[in-house]
Amino acid sequence: MTVLTRGAYAAPGTSLNFKTGNWRSTEKPVHIHAKAPCHAACPAGEDQQAWFAKMQEGHAQEAWLNLVTANPLPAVTGRVCPHPCETACNRAAIDGALAIHNVERWLGDEAIARGWEYPVDAPAPDAPAVAVIGAGPGGLSAAYHCLRRGLKAEIFEALPEAGGLLRSGIPRTRLPRETLNAEIERLLALPGITLRLHTRLGRDVSLDELNQSHAAVLLAPGCQESKHWDVQGAVPSDLHEGLALLREFMDHGAFPEARNVVVHGGGNTAVDLCRLMKRAGSEHVTLITASGLPGPGTDPDDIINVVPRELEEALEEGIEILDHATVNRLIMKGSKVTGVEVVSLKKEPGSDGRKRRVSFEGTERVLPADMVIPCIGERVDPEGLNHLLDGNYFWPGTPWGKLEDGVYGIGDARGDRGTVAGAIGDGAKAAEAAATYIAGGQDPQLDTREEMPAAGLNPVYYALSPRAEPPKVPPDARDFGTEIEGDIGRDAAMAEAQRCLSCGNCLACDNCWTLCPDNAVIKTQELASDGSHYLFDLDYCKGCGLCAHECPTGYIQMVPETA
Amino acid sequence: MRDALEGSQAIARAVSLCKPDVVAAYPITPQTHIVENLSKLVAEGDLHTEFVSVESEFSAASVVLGAAAAGARAYTATASQGVLLMAEVLFNIAGMRIPLVMTVANRAVSAPLSIWNDHGDSMAVRDSGWIQLHAADNQEAVDTTIQAFRITQETELPVMVCMDGFILTHTMEVIDLPDQATVDAFLPPFEFARKLDPQDPKSLGTLVDPGFFAEVRHSHHAAMAKALSVIADTDSAWESATGRACGGLLTVEGDKDAAVGIVAMGSTTGTLRAGMAHHPDAGPARLIKLRSFRPFPAQALIEATDGLDHLIVIDRAISPGLGGILGTEIAAALADVPNAPKIHNHALGLGGRDIPETIYADLMAAVTDPDAPLVFDADMAKLAPEDR
Repeated sequence: MTVLTRGAYAAPGTSLNFKTGNWRSTEKPVHIHAKAPCHAACPAGEDQQAWFAKMQEGHAQEAWLNLVTANPLPAVTGRVCPHPCETACNRAAIDGALAIHNVERWLGDEAIARGWEYPVDAPAPDAPAVAVIGAGPGGLSAAYHCLRRGLKAEIFEALPEAGGLLRSGIPRTRLPRETLNAEIERLLALPGITLRLHTRLGRDVSLDELNQSHAAVLLAPGCQESKHWDVQGAVPSDLHEGLALLREFMDHGAFPEARNVVVHGGGNTAVDLCRLMKRAGSEHVTLITASGLPGPGTDPDDIINVVPRELEEALEEGIEILDHATVNRLIMKGSKVTGVEVVSLKKEPGSDGRKRRVSFEGTERVLPADMVIPCIGERVDPEGLNHLLDGNYFWPGTPWGKLEDGVYGIGDARGDRGTVAGAIGDGAKAAEAAATYIAGGQDPQLDTREEMPAAGLNPVYYALSPRAEPPKVPPDARDFGTEIEGDIGRDAAMAEAQRCLSCGNCLACDNCWTLCPDNAVIKTQELASDGSHYLFDLDYCKGCGLCAHECPTGYIQMVPETA
Repeated sequence: MRDALEGSQAIARAVSLCKPDVVAAYPITPQTHIVENLSKLVAEGDLHTEFVSVESEFSAASVVLGAAAAGARAYTATASQGVLLMAEVLFNIAGMRIPLVMTVANRAVSAPLSIWNDHGDSMAVRDSGWIQLHAADNQEAVDTTIQAFRITQETELPVMVCMDGFILTHTMEVIDLPDQATVDAFLPPFEFARKLDPQDPKSLGTLVDPGFFAEVRHSHHAAMAKALSVIADTDSAWESATGRACGGLLTVEGDKDAAVGIVAMGSTTGTLRAGMAHHPDAGPARLIKLRSFRPFPAQALIEATDGLDHLIVIDRAISPGLGGILGTEIAAALADVPNAPKIHNHALGLGGRDIPETIYADLMAAVTDPDAPLVFDADMAKLAPEDR
């Protein structure tokens, strides 16, 4: 018979003997490191949340080292990327997305200024060599990631300089030459990368030869040929096609003179050209695009594919944009254009029931134009690789870009890309797949983790703080050489990092540990196997879900007991 | 040493003589001067104790609970709403059988708001399981406070020393404060067998299933019964040490052969004593000063009331819907006594209503008035007819 201690004092260990864990019936808490939406959205495969975490600890160099495990060109992408990471950022709904591209740019510039070394070792002397076609962002990334995987990389570039579209297709006002050169030079100086300039595929070297001499071939040729453009068969005799015109300007610094310019297309090149023509003295510059402008009523897939801030700046500078419209007819005087008939587009179901845009009869109007510039896109130059193309592009169908055994397609030439970051990400993936292939394995596994949605966070634990804004050259002071967007500087970059919500990852905030009513969260000195500092003691967790609800980042989730 | 001291000041000095390890209290009228004087003693270096300034009575009670459980002699004081705010903790202290001493400077309980004296506050927690001793004057309050530290140690029951707010706490009286050596000899060092010890861990206040709760309550009740003799014996020991006693459980004085008896607690007994002396025409009475309200000394009361025809019981609180609390309890105690006196129960002095000496004559006269009201000194003219 139990004899009570006076005052009903209990023997020690009583509370530990109550295994409240057996009250748990349906759900238990687990740590799930979901992808942060920035990471999920990044075509280059950066984990912005991970490098922001290093910034939050005050370690800028560690942040850069993490960043360049995915993207070796942050000073470039920090300037030219349309930053889908910011569009996806869960903070957008609270007080503005993080200024990720500004911080990335600062880190890239800082690495150049301080000479931080890329975290790669020289490949072994007998390491297999991979051939990379094209020294644009995709090819450079592919070569770099080959190095990261212990392979040598030999880059073949048709032009006299490396850089690809970064050099030929992006104005200095967006990407200064000094920055581009500095970052590319650092990359090309890495031991194990060889660059063969003036070497064109199909002319100077063939794919068969490369297949013989190299363990794998990574194709990043870009899209060099303009697609054919005419309006009902009419083409002006002095037609300047968009990318060629841009290249001409980049090489010679001069544009043909025109008073009224119409640019037809909907990409960055089109917007860049509009702005440069306006700055060069054209009175009216009009962009005609079939896409829509960003706004509450526009379907995200329908928005014009342009870096958002570039679009804003173009509007600031007085570029007129006719959205959901197309060129219906060219008004010619002889073989020269004098005007353009524009028609609006409306959505109508086609014979297959799917809606498509068709001309809206009766909306035709005429714009005076003494120059029309088509910017409707480019295709792969088929020389030397025609047998790999499916129409204009590779269309490889998998993220790894496999075209044949040991041959991979990267970047714009794939047909389903269109950004520098996408090409960089392709380069990483193709290098990974090539390394696995060379080692005799199958395609690697994709990271299939879930993405952390805004609804999975508990935002009450974050203090509001406004997004950092970079300095900008005012519209009337913009020229052809000065970079328009400025640097935010160390203090703002470090402060901006503090705004990161750490979506899906543990902040070590102690909320779970503090709030668990059963002391079923155990804090560990060393990192637990999942990388956090906490363990769940399921003997005492009664499944109340308080920890999951109060976890700011959604790192704790309740899952069915049987899971 | 004899000194003219305010009641509160005397209590602070008495507590100081008992060398508490921890004092935690929150000021509330009319207890404030006790806490003030204790903190002054600490500030002047005369009292070496952990004086914890808390933000509420709930915390004050919680602090002394924890301190005592950790093996410290601990003291607190409060009144009125403070008692009510402490109520949850007071039940815990008693249920866990924690030795503690608390002064209650008795004050009416709100609403209506009243800062003045009655026994409504300590009566509200009469079932908490604390020993409740009532002091009739400030000398008794001092002596009872020192005794309380010895009683609580011996019984492992917390002791509430009740003294009438303002009437005692704020009144200057010549007090004979014992010297330190006397108190040290009377009061052994604090020992608590079940004190918390990291080397020998225990859990307090844990869940007890229905298979054990009744036993815990039985044991608490039995401990209260055993405490009756401890209270009486401690008072005797105090008398041996100082030559003064407080009357153990109760005191019988006045005309022991009178047919009418009067029972009262606290400072009312002094008023009645004077009333009897100054109003001889009203007739003699046997005056019973009840000191121990909890444990309730039923047997001592039966003996003290033996031979009486009438017993006037004075309450300084009221249980609305029942009547007087002390009166009801004495009626129950005498229920089986053959020829028990007829009980006349009156509530007096509620919310600080003055009790004049003349009340003695009025009470004696009312013995023959079958319609004498429960609230004896209520003036019906102050009430609307429908509220009388």
